[in-house]
Amino acid sequence: MIQYAGIMLILIGIYGLLTQSNIIKIIVSLNIFELGLNVFIISVGFVREGIAPILTSVNNHNGLVFVDPLPQALVLTAIVIGLGTTALGLAFARSIYRQHGTLNLDEIGGPSNG
Amino acid sequence: MKRIFALVLVAVVGILLFSGIYSMEGFPRYGEAEVSERVSMSYIDKNVTRENQEVVFGVSENLETGSANIVTSIIVNYRSFDTLGEVTVLFVSALGVSLLFGSFEGRLRSRYKPNFILRTGSKVVFPLILVMGAYIFIHGHLSPGGGFPGGSMIASAILLMYLADEDFRVRIDDFKKTEGIAGAMYVLLGLVGLMISNYFLSNFLDTGTVGTLFSAGIIPVVYVLVGLKVGSELTGIITDFLKGEVE
Amino acid sequence: MVNPVLLIALPLLLAFVSIVFKAYKNNLLVFGTLLNAGLVLTLNKGQYIIGGFQPPFGINLVLDDFALTGILIINGLFLVITLMSLEKLEGFASVLLVALAGLNGLVLTGDLFNLFVFLEITAITAYILSSASKEYRYAFNYLVLGTLGSGLYLFGLIVLYAVFGTLNMADLSVKMAAVDASQLVLPSLLIFIGLAVEVKILPFNGWVKGVYSGTNSLVGPLFASVYAAGMLFVFGRIFAQVIPLGTYLRTSLVVLGALTLLAGEVAALSKTRIREILLYSSIGQSGLIAALFLSGLVFVAVMQLVNNALSKAILFTVAGQMADSTGTDEGEELQGAFLEHKIAGVGFTIAALSLIGLPLFYGFISKMNLLFGIFYSDNYWLPVVILLGTVIEGTYMVRLLVKLWTPGDEGIVSEKAFATERPLTIQSSKVMGIVVLSVVLLIGGLLPAVIQDNLTDSGSLLDEVTPAYLFDLKGGQ
Repeated sequence: MIQYAGIMLILIGIYGLLTQSNIIKIIVSLNIFELGLNVFIISVGFVREGIAPILTSVNNHNGLVFVDPLPQALVLTAIVIGLGTTALGLAFARSIYRQHGTLNLDEIGGPSNG
Repeated sequence: MKRIFALVLVAVVGILLFSGIYSMEGFPRYGEAEVSERVSMSYIDKNVTRENQEVVFGVSENLETGSANIVTSIIVNYRSFDTLGEVTVLFVSALGVSLLFGSFEGRLRSRYKPNFILRTGSKVVFPLILVMGAYIFIHGHLSPGGGFPGGSMIASAILLMYLADEDFRVRIDDFKKTEGIAGAMYVLLGLVGLMISNYFLSNFLDTGTVGTLFSAGIIPVVYVLVGLKVGSELTGIITDFLKGEVE
Repeated sequence: MVNPVLLIALPLLLAFVSIVFKAYKNNLLVFGTLLNAGLVLTLNKGQYIIGGFQPPFGINLVLDDFALTGILIINGLFLVITLMSLEKLEGFASVLLVALAGLNGLVLTGDLFNLFVFLEITAITAYILSSASKEYRYAFNYLVLGTLGSGLYLFGLIVLYAVFGTLNMADLSVKMAAVDASQLVLPSLLIFIGLAVEVKILPFNGWVKGVYSGTNSLVGPLFASVYAAGMLFVFGRIFAQVIPLGTYLRTSLVVLGALTLLAGEVAALSKTRIREILLYSSIGQSGLIAALFLSGLVFVAVMQLVNNALSKAILFTVAGQMADSTGTDEGEELQGAFLEHKIAGVGFTIAALSLIGLPLFYGFISKMNLLFGIFYSDNYWLPVVILLGTVIEGTYMVRLLVKLWTPGDEGIVSEKAFATERPLTIQSSKVMGIVVLSVVLLIGGLLPAVIQDNLTDSGSLLDEVTPAYLFDLKGGQ
């Protein structure tokens, strides 16, 4: 089921954050985590045999069975916010590489991740 | 050792999550969400400020939000404040990226030169992608899409040009200005709403007939602004990331 | 009538404009902070709807006593701190304008998902500001933990939406109160962890050490007082007024807060760098305030929060300035530094003593209220922990003060502070800011009624009222 897959992706993301020390891999883990979360959010609004919440000339009135539109709106916001943090994280990654010559946090000797 | 510890921790978290979520009373099984018991029902029926009445595509007029796309009506009308915040998040992270790369000059170059097919083909596709992006954000209230996907498409066209032409540069200052002006216009639109109807970001224009291009009041206006803003913001981020270091 | 949405919209507008007119962005920042500080004084309490859609369908701003205290503190301190350290702005003026809008939104909003958006705005500005120290790995570490935290917050709130079908705080608090609290453990815990990252509660505060220990005289006080205050107000809003916690969960979270207090204070004891001492003290204070909010003592928690924010603004400004101008904030090397800078020294001393809670200062009033408040709520172990924490805090603060006021052995070790090469300088703008903040702390201590009246009824919020114990010192005067 899609909902289980979402939670599994969240767990995989957390596992990646706990174990990886390469900055790019940490950012990828963070993205997997967010992706899982987004799948979960969408799945919460799913209605079996519901249609996409858009009125068209075919599905033309509000009495039909639509899936919940609110989680879809929330997920759009969450995706854009995830994009923003990812961009900033990658910019940090490049600055760190310029400063230390490596992308491995263990080699830099900073506080470990997670 | 670290991995085993992490695995155990993740397993514990996983068990807690699964048992916690699915033992909650009232948590809907997958596919059995009760939309009628959520606030979403009013978004579908468009009856937050009006009497409940049937909404028919191409017939109903002057509803509280005239958007045929219900998700869009939530994003730009019912929860418009979230969208302003979302635009701000993107704005501030683009700002952060440009601050971090502020001292960089020049452009990073790929190890491989773009070939003839890529160079010529991209010039053909470029205007088509731009038009498609504009189409998507102008029709955000009628079809899937809107300001964010439309803006991303425009930025992707610019990225394609960067990949296809080693000497391609955009005038980043112009994009920053577009970004700032579009953002300021969005806030001003909200303030105009505050002056006209006493509510920030209210839909003060005529909402027209559901399903026509010129309908839904301020939604198309907002989406054009958001599309321009997102497009120029992402272009800015791409340009900043492609800046090289002067040795 | 002024709509509080202007507090969010105007700084945002100025931030967008500042991108177009880059040359004027510092002026726009000063204008924006002044404007906001002025607007705060003209607000009327009430509920303000955005977009014209009634909650729970639309988003609303809730301006009650709690939020009013919050924005008063945030906008006031933001103004003072910005004016004190204008020379440290570098390129951050636009980011600071967005941060101001984000912090106001955080405290004002009455919608859980809108709160998430503002949480991210504020957090992203914090990541950018923390890169001012050029220690990018710490900023990155903060980014990862912060994003994970807000992700978990979002997870918790989606679970609540799936069950209750609404995102409005007031609506949710009514619907949640009707459900057995044991049903809500998972979402409550997820939201707690999400906020605990920003509020600096153990064990989610791994980012604090790296980020706080390198801050300058602008970012340091902003983080330690304004951001900390904003995040704690959100924490209080959610856990004292929206989410009902079961007895068992509540007790364990209070214990976690108390542990954070003790761990922070003990860690500060062993440090010698001034900013490190202060950052562990910040962690300790956050734990204390969080524990008070979780115990339902909203009023005393807000008092302590105000005391902490005012004191930390002074302490971090002075410590940051020491590091900026001499290149070190090692206590040993700055022995006797205040002999040359008496006004800043007195301000620093007042702030430190107020933080400990000595009489004459506002901290005393807040600590008295706090201890009596907890005793009357039939909790007997928490006051013991708090007193223990206070004793430890007093030990290292007084030790630090003695060091900074007296020259070292034969004046040798104190060379750095008076060295001609990189002498300690404190600009007059900073001295003025420090005097203003110290006077507020003194007024709060000598005439508690002035501040008290502005805080009264911090407990009556949203639709559901959480009873807060009120110990009024006015009767004792």
